[in-house]
Amino acid sequence: MSIQKKIEAVIAEALYIEIEKITDDLKYQEIAEWDSMSHLVLVAEIEKAYEISVDMEDILEMGSVAKIKGILKKYQINV
Amino acid sequence: MRLYDLIQQNKKLKFVDPDSGNSSSISDFHQSLKIEDFHGLIFVYSDNKINSIEVFLNFLQSQFTMSLLASQLNLQFKRSLEGVYQPFYIYDPTREDIEGYEKYSASLSISLFRRKVKPKYSIHKNIKLLLSTSGTTGTPKFVKLSDENLVKNAASILDYMPIKNNDVTPLNVPIVFVYGLSVLTTNCIKGGTIICTDKDILQKEFWKDFNTYKFSTLNGVPYVYEMLYRIGFFKKEHPSLRYMAQTGGILSAALIKVIAAYSEKNNTPFYAQYGQTEAAGRMAYLPPEDLLKKGSSIGFPIKNGKFEINKETQELIYYGENVFGGYANGKDDLCTFQKSNNLNTGDMARIDDYGYYYIIGRIKRIVKLFGTRLNLDEVELILKNNLGGETFICIGINDVCLLIVHLNSSLKDTLIEKVLKDKLNLHPSSLKIKYIKNVPKTPNGKIDYQHLKALYYHNSD
Repeated sequence: MSIQKKIEAVIAEALYIEIEKITDDLKYQEIAEWDSMSHLVLVAEIEKAYEISVDMEDILEMGSVAKIKGILKKYQINV
Repeated sequence: MRLYDLIQQNKKLKFVDPDSGNSSSISDFHQSLKIEDFHGLIFVYSDNKINSIEVFLNFLQSQFTMSLLASQLNLQFKRSLEGVYQPFYIYDPTREDIEGYEKYSASLSISLFRRKVKPKYSIHKNIKLLLSTSGTTGTPKFVKLSDENLVKNAASILDYMPIKNNDVTPLNVPIVFVYGLSVLTTNCIKGGTIICTDKDILQKEFWKDFNTYKFSTLNGVPYVYEMLYRIGFFKKEHPSLRYMAQTGGILSAALIKVIAAYSEKNNTPFYAQYGQTEAAGRMAYLPPEDLLKKGSSIGFPIKNGKFEINKETQELIYYGENVFGGYANGKDDLCTFQKSNNLNTGDMARIDDYGYYYIIGRIKRIVKLFGTRLNLDEVELILKNNLGGETFICIGINDVCLLIVHLNSSLKDTLIEKVLKDKLNLHPSSLKIKYIKNVPKTPNGKIDYQHLKALYYHNSD
C-alpha cells in the first residue's frame, strides 16, 4: 500500500458504518455495530492495513477511537 | 418451593456492583422496590448491571410475569413489542420517557415506567417468565416458562456443576439469554458472590474486575472461548479460576485441545453443555474428564432428563420437567400454558456404544451465528420483504457463516448486507452472497440445499 489508509476508513469498513459517524470519542459497545464480533474484525483489519500484529493487552486497550489512535502511535503508525 | 424462596435461603449470597464496589445481600433486595403486586406483565430491559438484577429479583418475588429483554434492543423493536404485549411496568435504563407511561422512582436508585391506563390481563398462572429465542432480533415470539421449569432446571444443573458458596461468578453472559439466566439462578441458589457486570471479555475493565474480585468461574458460548483463545487467555495462569463452562454450540476440535490442555495443567474442569430456551436452559452436559476423547459429544442427559432418538427422522427428543409451556406471539397467547414433558429439539442426533449423544444436524432450519439463534425461514422472509419480493435462499455453513443465494444478477451485495445489518445486526463478514440463474432442485422437486451449499466452497469471486 503506497498511501497509508486513514484509520477512520479502516474502522468504518470493519464496523460497517458511515465514516461520518466515527469520532474520537466513539466507544466500544456504545453502538450496536461495535460489538465483540466486529471488534475482532476491526483488529484483523487494522493488522492487515498497517501490516502489524496487535498484542492482547492492546486489543483490550482499544476501547475507543481515540485509544486506537494512541495504540497505533505505539506501533509507529501516524494516523 | 419457588425459585425466589430457594434463593432467599442462601445466606452467603452477595451481589457486587464492580463500578462502585458496593455489595448487597439478598435481604437488601427483598421487596426493595415500590410496586403494585398483582399478576401483570413487566418488561425488564436488562443491561446486566446491579439495578437490573435488583429489578429481576423484586419481580421474581412478586406475582408478575417477567419478560427479560436486552437493553440494547433497537428502539423500534422495543416500541413494537410494547405495542403487542402492553406491559404494565417497564424497566429500561436507556430511556427517559415512554409514550403512554409515567416514570416514577421505585427506590432511590431505580426508576420504573408505569402504564397510565391499566390494561386488563389474562395471564396463565404458570407463566413466570417470557424469553425471546433470538435475543436481539425483536420478533415478538417468546418462550413461556414457569417458575417450576426454572427450579427443576436449576436443580439438575446443580447436580453436576461444582458451584460453591465461596465462588465469585461474573454475569458476563447476559441474563436475557437462558444460559446467562441459568448462571444467575444456580449461583443465586448455591453460589457466593455474583458480579453484576455489563462488561465482556474484550474490555480491559472485565480483566481488572477479574483480578480484583478473583473470579472463580467463567461461562460463555463457543465464540467467547474463541475470543479468549485469540487474546491469549489459555497461555497464562489464572489461579483464582476453579472451573469453566460453555453452551450454545460445539467447540472446534482445535479449541477443544487447547482448552483440555489448559484444563488438565491447571486442574480447572471445563463443562461443555447442551440446551435450548425451550428447556429453560439445559438438557445435557459432557463430564469434564471426557472433554479430550469425546469433545464433539454433548454427553449425557442432565439429572431427571431423558433422551430418545426418533428412529425415522433421527430427531433428538428430550423428556423432563424443565420443558416449556408453548410459544407466545402476542398477548392472547399469554392465557395458556401447555404443560408438557417432552420437547422436539429440532436437532438430529446419534448415540455411540457408550451412551454418549452427538448432534449431527438440524431438522429445523436454524443456524447459530456467534451463539445467537437464527431461523433461516425468517431471514429469507426479512430479505424478501425488504428487497422488493425477490427470492432468497439462506443456508447455514457450520454455524460460522450464512450463505445467501439470490436470483437477481443486478442486486448489489451491499443492499443485502445493509438489510441484514439493520434488521438482524449481522456483520457482513459472516455473510457470503451468491447469485445463481436457477434454483437447483432435487429429483422430487425440493430445493437442493446440498448443491447450493457447494457454492460456498466454490471461489468464483
